[in-house]
Amino acid sequence: MPMLAMVAVMLSVATILITWSVMGGFLKTLMESGKTLVGDVAIVWPNVGFAHYDDLIDRLEADDMIEAATPTIETFGLVQLPDDRVELISIKGIDSSSYSGVTDFNSTMWWKPITEPTSKDHDAEDIRLSDGYAELFGQIEANGHSMSRLNPSTGNPEPAAVIGIEVTGLNQRQIWGGYFPMSPNRALADGSTEFVDVFMPRDGSVGLTILALDSEGHPIDPVTQTLPIANEFQSGLYEVDQGTIFVPLDIIQRMLRLDAAQKVELVRDDENPFAIEIDPVTGEVGPKMKEIIGVDPARVTTVLVKGVDGAELEAIRTRVRAVYEEFAQAHIGEVPDSIQMEYQIKTWEDLNRTMISAVKKETGLVLFIFGIVSFTTVFLVLAIFWSMASEKTKDIGVLRALGASTPGIAWLWIRYGATIGIVGSLTGTALGYWIVININAIHDWMGRQFGLVIWDPRQYYFVEIPSEVELSKAAIIFVIGILTCILGAAIPAIHSARMDPVKALRFE
Amino acid sequence: METQAQKHEQGSTVESKPILSVRHVCKTYKLGRVKVPVLHGIDLDVQRGEWVTILGASGSGKSTLLHLLGGLDRPDKNDGERASVSYGDVDLTKQSKRTLDRYRANDIGFVFQFYHLLPELSVLQNVTVGGMIKHGRLGYRSHRKDIVERASGLLDRFGLSHRLKHRPAELSGGERQRVAIARALINEPSLLLADEPTGNLDLKTGESILDAMIEHRKEAGLTMVMVTHDERIAQRSDRVIRLADGLIESAR
Repeated sequence: MPMLAMVAVMLSVATILITWSVMGGFLKTLMESGKTLVGDVAIVWPNVGFAHYDDLIDRLEADDMIEAATPTIETFGLVQLPDDRVELISIKGIDSSSYSGVTDFNSTMWWKPITEPTSKDHDAEDIRLSDGYAELFGQIEANGHSMSRLNPSTGNPEPAAVIGIEVTGLNQRQIWGGYFPMSPNRALADGSTEFVDVFMPRDGSVGLTILALDSEGHPIDPVTQTLPIANEFQSGLYEVDQGTIFVPLDIIQRMLRLDAAQKVELVRDDENPFAIEIDPVTGEVGPKMKEIIGVDPARVTTVLVKGVDGAELEAIRTRVRAVYEEFAQAHIGEVPDSIQMEYQIKTWEDLNRTMISAVKKETGLVLFIFGIVSFTTVFLVLAIFWSMASEKTKDIGVLRALGASTPGIAWLWIRYGATIGIVGSLTGTALGYWIVININAIHDWMGRQFGLVIWDPRQYYFVEIPSEVELSKAAIIFVIGILTCILGAAIPAIHSARMDPVKALRFE
Repeated sequence: METQAQKHEQGSTVESKPILSVRHVCKTYKLGRVKVPVLHGIDLDVQRGEWVTILGASGSGKSTLLHLLGGLDRPDKNDGERASVSYGDVDLTKQSKRTLDRYRANDIGFVFQFYHLLPELSVLQNVTVGGMIKHGRLGYRSHRKDIVERASGLLDRFGLSHRLKHRPAELSGGERQRVAIARALINEPSLLLADEPTGNLDLKTGESILDAMIEHRKEAGLTMVMVTHDERIAQRSDRVIRLADGLIESAR
């Protein structure tokens, strides 16, 4: 019977440890993925953006705590895909060289030559492994980094976009976690389809349509531009990979009219009605309508900041706020002041808060359910100990006759419960730890033996089941396992201690 | 309660001052709603070093009286004269549970008809467990050597030195009872309470057990109260008390 109790404790402890570790690992992986393309801190002024960002970046990069900063523009638009489908998409205008210094952008390029298969690609099916495509994928990877692609008709590189691997729907995700590219069939009006032979990073392009903004940030005319695709990225967050495109910053600035422009003023008729001006493009002469009074600098909606290694996130944010305050002082009236910007300086956790809190709540819920299930262990131990105490009634009577005190008898059972708790928790923690660190191998084995696939990378976005055990979690579960047993042993202990020794001796 | 000096003074002679004194003791058990009177007013003195045998048929109240003497149970509260069970000058009926626990651990030894050895423990551990109870877990560590030595000595004396590591299940009935006696004697008690110690043994084995107890009693000046229904055993004791229907019928 004590063995039964020990096994129950062991299984409960192992179950909780596995659940907590996997869900915790899932959250951790998700958070790391969420940080991949964001950096540490973002200064956000949406729609209209803010000017003099180069100066802000210089000031930020001069700070000891800040490693790098990069300008970006974030907006939404429509993307027209090779099969003419039109989807809503999040557009990020970036300067690829500085952006890759702040984020892990370069490492997210999917199409690149690789030498080792990914962990679940046991049969080396990934086409990126192929020697025959190594040169092509090498070029595509470089294209992704530089966000450009060679135009075959002109022979010159032209600006290109990097699109999320899931946006086009032309990459078929495999059970081993990789992709096979497919060519689409375009639906025609007569009900037939037309095969479109395209591999996006080689010869695919997309049409982007966005609403340009006036100087007040209000939408004006829609602007459309076709962009070749340099590469496709995979960040690890399905929502991002399924609905994001990276576009060179200068292109998106032009499309949104956030680029540098001449600042003009209308000429008043009564000052000089005979004034003329020559159009610099056409050379035509006409009455002077406006006068150039300066340059309206280019703007961006966001500056992303990366702190030096080891710097605390909140400390980086505090420093960024201080730098922005100096920057705002230097450009009074031209950029949002520091008070307005107070809550617009966000950490990457703030930016992913909805997603993170959803997963945290999910983790909490699963743990709560398993906790309730495992709490039955208390009653199991109680039932087993009660039964043992009944079986040992005569022995308890003997011990009482020998002079054992009631606390002594109670302590005997509590100690017994604690021993079962310690042994059960130790073996349970060891079992849970072993299962977690081998969970992917066990899962693969189950798949091979029984065709059972619980974690399918086609549905779950991570290729592998998270397999890290945090020592603090293991310690907490270990202690709770012991306390559970002590709690389960407490009632039989009190019952035994209060047993009438004469009745106990006469018990048959 | 009982000092070691007092114990040494006793020798094997019967002294005038009783070690046990029972007055007006009644005991009634409740079986559901039914009250079953077992003892109806017992008065009894047991002198130091005396061997008293309590004889009686089943249900006469022998074991109940033994339990009262051992502080395992308390007498009824009478309407008339107050019941008392005194060990020396100490009235056990007025003592706390804790004091009674100490009394059982330090001053008396129990021997049962069915041995009541702990099946998970070895022979040696079954004997030393008494020492562990007396000294407590921490105190036992400092006295461990002495207790083990004494336990080994007692078991050797009872011819069980070759059985120290055996479990009770591996022993014969006579061997088990010898272990039980060694356990009762481990803390050098002044009083041995034995509930039909030979009742479960054949005649020859019973005699040898009895011889061992008598020999030890003589050496240690032990007071012994033994419950039995065996007349031959009763004949060997200093005094015989016959119980019938919860009353002392006669005493020799």
